[in-house]
Amino acid sequence: MNSVGHFKVQDLSISFGGLKAVSKFNLELKPMSLTGLIGPNGAGKTTVFNLVTGVYPPDNGTLDLDGSNLNGKEPCQIAKAGIARTFQNIRLCGEMTVLENVMLSYHMKKPYSLLDTLLRTPKFYAQEKKVTEEAMALLKVMKLDSKAQSLSRSLSYGNQRRLEIARALGTSPRVLLLDEPAAGLNSQEKVELMHTIAEIRDKFKVTVLLIEHDMKLVMGICERITVLDHGEVIAEGLPKEIRENKKVIEAYLGVSE
Amino acid sequence: MTKWTFWVGTFVAVAALWGINYSLEEYANPYIVRVIINCGIALILGLSLNLVNGCAGQFSLGHAGFMGIGAYTSILLTTLSNIDFFQSPMGIGWAVVAGGGAAALAGYLVGLPSLRLRGDYLAIVTLGFGEIIRIFFLNMEFIGGARGMPGIPRESNFFWVYLWAAVTFIFMYRLIRSSTGRAILSIRENEIAAEAMGIDVARYKVVAFVISSFFAGIAGGLFAHYQGFIDPSTFNFNRSVEVVIMVVMGGMGSFTGAALGALLVTLLPELLRVFAEYRMVIFSASLVAVMLWRPMGIMGHKEIWHFFKKKGEA
Ligand SMILES: Nc1ncnc2c1ncn2[C@@H]1O[C@H](COP(=O)(O)OP(=O)(O)OP(=O)(O)O)[C@@H](O)[C@H]1O
Ligand SMILES: [Mg+2]
Repeated sequence: MNSVGHFKVQDLSISFGGLKAVSKFNLELKPMSLTGLIGPNGAGKTTVFNLVTGVYPPDNGTLDLDGSNLNGKEPCQIAKAGIARTFQNIRLCGEMTVLENVMLSYHMKKPYSLLDTLLRTPKFYAQEKKVTEEAMALLKVMKLDSKAQSLSRSLSYGNQRRLEIARALGTSPRVLLLDEPAAGLNSQEKVELMHTIAEIRDKFKVTVLLIEHDMKLVMGICERITVLDHGEVIAEGLPKEIRENKKVIEAYLGVSE
Repeated sequence: MTKWTFWVGTFVAVAALWGINYSLEEYANPYIVRVIINCGIALILGLSLNLVNGCAGQFSLGHAGFMGIGAYTSILLTTLSNIDFFQSPMGIGWAVVAGGGAAALAGYLVGLPSLRLRGDYLAIVTLGFGEIIRIFFLNMEFIGGARGMPGIPRESNFFWVYLWAAVTFIFMYRLIRSSTGRAILSIRENEIAAEAMGIDVARYKVVAFVISSFFAGIAGGLFAHYQGFIDPSTFNFNRSVEVVIMVVMGGMGSFTGAALGALLVTLLPELLRVFAEYRMVIFSASLVAVMLWRPMGIMGHKEIWHFFKKKGEA
């Protein structure tokens, strides 16, 4: 069986000024599991992603992926170690084509050298072709293959989010972090996207952590759920446990949406 | 393209350069030759700065400093050392390459600490660097100090300048259309996303900066050996700004745009000579007009051939 993609986060904390954005956050993701991270606005969900991917150095805590420690690593090293993410506020390379955005993710695998680039060796052409084909295959999974040559900024909002997922998959991640991939979609599209995410997990054998506001959606596909409120984990467990948890109900009712 | 056509093409191009060089030296008006050569040097400068300012989106203001390092390093070898470069068929080639190498090294030393910082630090640091280099030359008596350095062998010509301009263009074109090129562009587009996709942003900023400095140094060496005389004020802040104007006017990130910008910035003041003292006023006004007409630069992010392709072909 697949045993990579075992990710453990312990005691992760950060504060911004006086605000404890995340405190003593614990999470264990089993290989190929699909876990939801939910919580009201400002709960600290995105901050958890930023801590885990090295965007912010945590005040405290340890990150462990398949037995290797990721503390203090730069974001690009964490990506190389096998953690890929999407962004809540979309971050694409707008002036590059859809295909180029995905091909960018293959750069860290060093397909060819600078000398191959300048001399346009057979290796350059062969590798460039291979990367193009693999990137196209990812675009196909995200149903973006027909838009491959468009500039990514010209895509619709929903397609931009799908492109972010395709691009993250291009890094061949062990763990995929999705920050509200369904935001801004209609309910039909949301349901479709959730199916796609489940498919991706099976096809690419990747561990998925999904941030999503909509409880019903998360309940539908996630095997386990962690609930954050004011930077702290208030509940963790199976969807049906979470649904009946008093603290969770309070946290959600306490927030007007 | 097969190997065979490539070598034939290269041979024809070099022969053509040599032929044009010969006819220019024999028959052309020296003023015209001078303008043509200045255009070639501007091309190398504009194309190289475009990699940093246009493609990587880092604002450097010190290109003249790197040009100066290339110029002074190459004349150290040809004018102040006992090495006889002119017996070999490479002529000043090696001295110019050494100038490029020294500029690249300086680019590495300046870029490594400053490119790790975000925002406009690079503009400030490179501005300061350019001034420090100029003042350094000013105080070095053995390379002429403020009086400048006369008696440099005038071995640079149309052939060398345009050979290097072509090399610069092909180098940049191939670089940017590659995996490394995508990495460099992604820095301009979105640093945080680039990092998250495994691109070592700090490293590729330095790579772009070193390559850019190398070609600036080459331009400096060619320039010195064409002029036959250089002094520190040749490499002052104004020249750095001039190169930035080429890139901004042409369109950030477009190499054909940077080339067009280089030609405009070099040719326009010459064409405007008829207006005598109003020349630079009209020149500045036309720069403003271009920027109002096309705020993204003449080419924007596109290359010239993108304008001739039909929609959908991309
Ligand atoms: N760089 C920062 N500097 C200061 N405060 C920050 C920073 N990033 C996040 N915060 C604060 O930390 C808290 C958690 O923010 P975060 O973005 O993680 O919430 P979230 O759970 O993702 O919310 P949402 O559902 O709205 O996306 C918020 O109060 C936010 O204002
Ligand atoms: Mg968020």
